[in-house]
Amino acid sequence: MSFAGKILRVDLTNRKINKYDADLAKDYIGGFGLCAKLACDLIKSEVTPLSPLNPLIIGAGALVGTNAPATSRIYAFTKLPANGAIGWGGGGGATFACNLKFAGYDAVIIEGKADKPVFIRIEDDDIDIRDAEDIWGSGINETCEKIWEECGEGGILAVGQAGENLVRFSMMYIDRLSTVGRGGIGAVMGSKNLKALFVRGSGSVEVKDRKRFDKAVKELLERMKSYPYLKEWQELGLLKSLPAIPRDVYLKLRKRRIACVSCPIGDKDVLELDGGEIYTTSAVNLMTPAVMGMNYKDAMRLTAKLDDYGMDMFEFLGILNFAKELSEKGKLELDSEIDFTSLDSMLFWAKKIASREGTGDLLANGFAEMERKFGVKPKSVVKGMRAYTTPKGPLIWNLFGTMELGQILDPRGPHVAAGGSPTYFAKRPPESFRKHLARMGIPDEKIGEILSSGIKIGKLLCHSHIWFTILASLGICARAQINRFYSADICAELYSAATGIEMSKNQLLDKAREIWRMLKLANFRAGFTREDDLPPEDWFDDGFRDYVTGEPLTKEDVERMMDEYYREMGLEEFMRR
Amino acid sequence: MIAVHSENCTGCMRCVLICSYTYTKKFSISTPRIKIKEYRAEFTEDCNECGKCVEQCFYGALEMVK
Repeated sequence: MSFAGKILRVDLTNRKINKYDADLAKDYIGGFGLCAKLACDLIKSEVTPLSPLNPLIIGAGALVGTNAPATSRIYAFTKLPANGAIGWGGGGGATFACNLKFAGYDAVIIEGKADKPVFIRIEDDDIDIRDAEDIWGSGINETCEKIWEECGEGGILAVGQAGENLVRFSMMYIDRLSTVGRGGIGAVMGSKNLKALFVRGSGSVEVKDRKRFDKAVKELLERMKSYPYLKEWQELGLLKSLPAIPRDVYLKLRKRRIACVSCPIGDKDVLELDGGEIYTTSAVNLMTPAVMGMNYKDAMRLTAKLDDYGMDMFEFLGILNFAKELSEKGKLELDSEIDFTSLDSMLFWAKKIASREGTGDLLANGFAEMERKFGVKPKSVVKGMRAYTTPKGPLIWNLFGTMELGQILDPRGPHVAAGGSPTYFAKRPPESFRKHLARMGIPDEKIGEILSSGIKIGKLLCHSHIWFTILASLGICARAQINRFYSADICAELYSAATGIEMSKNQLLDKAREIWRMLKLANFRAGFTREDDLPPEDWFDDGFRDYVTGEPLTKEDVERMMDEYYREMGLEEFMRR
Repeated sequence: MIAVHSENCTGCMRCVLICSYTYTKKFSISTPRIKIKEYRAEFTEDCNECGKCVEQCFYGALEMVK
């Protein structure tokens, strides 16, 4: 079967390494579901995020390692430093996820704290905890290069200086290519004195019923090959939807397109600038600072530097915005001016924050700590993080769809997406959603309810979260250009064929709902209630508008959507009394 | 024979996965007859040019030529 079969447990405090059977994977689909269950079982309510007692749990999905298209995701669960939620980050990348499976592990649990900087090397059964003092203080690129030099080919999960210095918006990076954020997940590695994990697997992944599996994969690949926009997606990726830079300029900069393992529609790049190479998870991200008034080359230079520090660019820009606001109010004295159009100014602040120098030390603590210290509420901040989509944010989008509601209801806090729900960034007539909702496994009757008089965003978000949980547990990429080819039926078929565990579409949907509810309720028990899910007040002052009618939205409208979501998901604990 | 167009390779390893699966019935990146080194495909002596890898390449990095 396609599970690797073991869970690896590394105790950094006592330098103990244990392995045990991953039978739990079968009960929780695998990947996201398996790690969510481990997190809910292992993370104690009273444990603080940067305590050695907070475990970091990393797992690869049930289809990772096979050739089912775009099945290269890992998910990492822990208590998040930005807000204390039991949350997660996920990412694709090059070979980390499949190497983990080929080495024999569905998940790795890292506990404790090393007495000095270390990295963990996993080569099948041969595992050791190695000295990392010579790479401590290095950026992501140098870290990966040095580990590859020492250990040879393999997957790497690493943090940069931001993670080492416990910046509350540091991230982990896979193979220096993909980000695993947000919530300051990189700081959890830093708090354990853990610079990186290296993994190489010489083993294999089997599928139980080859004929059945091959048939499902063949059909998927044929549909992908005949997709009329395949070439455009392959060429532009997310730039197709968000044209942050003219096509010809982008293609001139691009040295090589990179795909995650098994992905036919790769969307990562090596770009060339100033005679050097920039590895990026998405050209759209790289160009984002241009929205703040910076020229595109400086935007690339800045984002590349932030990636090397291992720091979330969105949160970095957001926290500087807040610092500037506090400075203008006379509440905060800055080391230097904050100028979003100047590369020098941004690089100055990036270094200050990543190294915790001067005022950077304060900013590195993130929004929640800044709010506590100054008694000023930052705009568009949810659960200690700045929302991606705000009515006046860097991503200008004022229609309130599932992504916007998801920013507040996701237990981990705001993120770029959760589920590939069709409302993201493209306003389409509600009726055009019908086929997407059907493939997500939503019954006809329920689709009728969701699409009656506009779109019931709360109900749709519930089913988007369930759909995301299925994709993430199997290890399938949730990006629109991939998830559009998958359906709940195909997922159930692939899962059954690969694992030999017969699972109907409805059983898969029910299991995914159970996993999401479990996670939300674990956070409820840890103290996250309806109050924490409420939208920021500044979203409604000439802010978000109804997705369909474009009419201004009120807080009461959003609270109705929240109740609709909780009712649909079976989360009565969060409903209005 | 199989022509290699390295400039198009994305490192997706679909060729590697299908090769191991075809000849060992298991997915692996350490056993195939095609290896990807720095985005360049290389074939071991066991390769019989069955073309499965070419079928799986979505990027035009591998081409079957007569």
